[in-house]
Amino acid sequence: MKRKLKHMLAGLVFCLLGIFTAGVTLFLFLYVFYKGRDVISLSFLLEEPAGVPVGTDGGIFPALAGSVYLGGLSALMGGLMGIGCAVYLSFYSPNGRFRSMVQASIQGLSGIPSILFGLVAYTFLIYQLGMPRSLLCASVAVAAMIVPFTAIRAKKILDEKGREYMSNSISLGLSREYALGRLILPACLAELIETTALGMAYGMGAVAPILYTGAVMQSKIPEKLTDPFMSLPYHLYMLVNNGFSLEYAYGTAFVLMAFLLCIHLICKVISYFMDKKNCNRYS
Amino acid sequence: MRRKFCNLMGKSIILFTAFGVVFLMFLMLFHILSESLMAFTEIGIHMFLPDAQWRPVSENPQYGLMPVIAGTLYVSGLAVSAALVFGIGCAVFLSFYVPKQIAKVLLSFIELAAGIPSVIFGFIGLTVLVKWFAGHFGMAAGQSVLAASIVLGIMLLPFVVSTCQESIQNARNTYELAALALGFSREMLIVRIILPAISKGIVASAMMAFGRGLGETMAVMMVIGNSPIYPKLLGRAQTLPALTALEMGSIEYGSRHLSVLYAANVILLVILLLTMVCGHLLHRRALQNET
Repeated sequence: MKRKLKHMLAGLVFCLLGIFTAGVTLFLFLYVFYKGRDVISLSFLLEEPAGVPVGTDGGIFPALAGSVYLGGLSALMGGLMGIGCAVYLSFYSPNGRFRSMVQASIQGLSGIPSILFGLVAYTFLIYQLGMPRSLLCASVAVAAMIVPFTAIRAKKILDEKGREYMSNSISLGLSREYALGRLILPACLAELIETTALGMAYGMGAVAPILYTGAVMQSKIPEKLTDPFMSLPYHLYMLVNNGFSLEYAYGTAFVLMAFLLCIHLICKVISYFMDKKNCNRYS
Repeated sequence: MRRKFCNLMGKSIILFTAFGVVFLMFLMLFHILSESLMAFTEIGIHMFLPDAQWRPVSENPQYGLMPVIAGTLYVSGLAVSAALVFGIGCAVFLSFYVPKQIAKVLLSFIELAAGIPSVIFGFIGLTVLVKWFAGHFGMAAGQSVLAASIVLGIMLLPFVVSTCQESIQNARNTYELAALALGFSREMLIVRIILPAISKGIVASAMMAFGRGLGETMAVMMVIGNSPIYPKLLGRAQTLPALTALEMGSIEYGSRHLSVLYAANVILLVILLLTMVCGHLLHRRALQNET
């Protein structure tokens, strides 16, 4: 009897913990979407910020566009670099000192907190190299942050899918580059793009690396790489931190979260269908 | 001829990216160390005296980092313990008490929360937790170590839940049938067999979560109150990344203050490195035991 009670109690504790955890996660999404729903309108999305202080009226279009620019640029740089590195580790490197150096670098970069990328970009790029606070500078900082993110995931994908192609191609006398360009990269393309997109979402949400390297409270949509830019998470941070307008902060958070969730969901759907296709092919 | 050229191009691009990553890592390390050199040579041990305060801009500047280091460890430690309790509970709940299909949906939902940017966590923490604390604990502003730990703990949850879920699945495959054949009840199986079997893996993932928590900037900075004093549970405090983010914009380049900030980050990196290495070793041992 006593044992039964104990078991029921343990089960109850596990259930409560689980339900609570799932509930908290659900709450995060619902809270932002519920609170932000009133602010969202077409004019909020498509107008420039206005009001005194800036951001208490008008819209967030430049921030939306700035975030997209930042995400695109840093995904281009960080994604290419990460995938190149993953290709090197998967197919090119002999077991040597340089290989372990590349591996250690990726591990090391992945452990460095995001604020340090911002700090180093701030002092190195802006003070030592004399770059202006700009889109380019912030993109470099964010790209450096997403290099390990894409490299680790891309290496996993290439190892899983490409090893067999590569050994078969080499035994048929093809060059590594041919096998890569014609067989392995096309086969993994969707997943590699998915990885880069997730990296982009990760980079777009980060504030710490762009804090003093390029994001500003008000600017036009950047036309050159050397222009400063607005970004959604930075805009949200400034609205909240300076206490300008909570209402607009909810709206900005809504847009930011919806945007990133869309990227994640699209990636999830794609990978779901890819899995299905693969299952059909091999079964 | 053309093909050869293309092959060479491809190869050199790949080699270039590999060199690029190594260069990036060295550049970061070199820059951080060289910028912090002044602090270590000129101020040295004075940064780490336990009763030195953080007063970088007063007339008689003091650069005591100990309160901030303590704050960082305190917040991360508390957050990881909270995340572990709830994360393990949730992983057990998902693997044993919920039908597989629903568990899959819930799990991918929880993992989706890992994609929420930290500034939104900070924002929610500020508008919900801090407000609630201010109302119910009679605190002046509600910004406190406890609020920061809760926010950070929630941020770490997806990571803890998904790693625990994986190792529970592995342990289950090994032990479940044998245990059921011996007449174990479900709770006995969980408490007596599964949890001890995955304990090493849990410690490893706790170390990794701790490392992530140490480096978290925005969410913590928005709810901790940013006072560089020794942390108390319901008082304000400061963490190393938040200190960096808060002060780096307003400092002259080449000043001693900036150098101390770099030194603070060197300390952060050393702590991170130790945690990661411990986590890695434990993880490897856990994998060996599981197989």
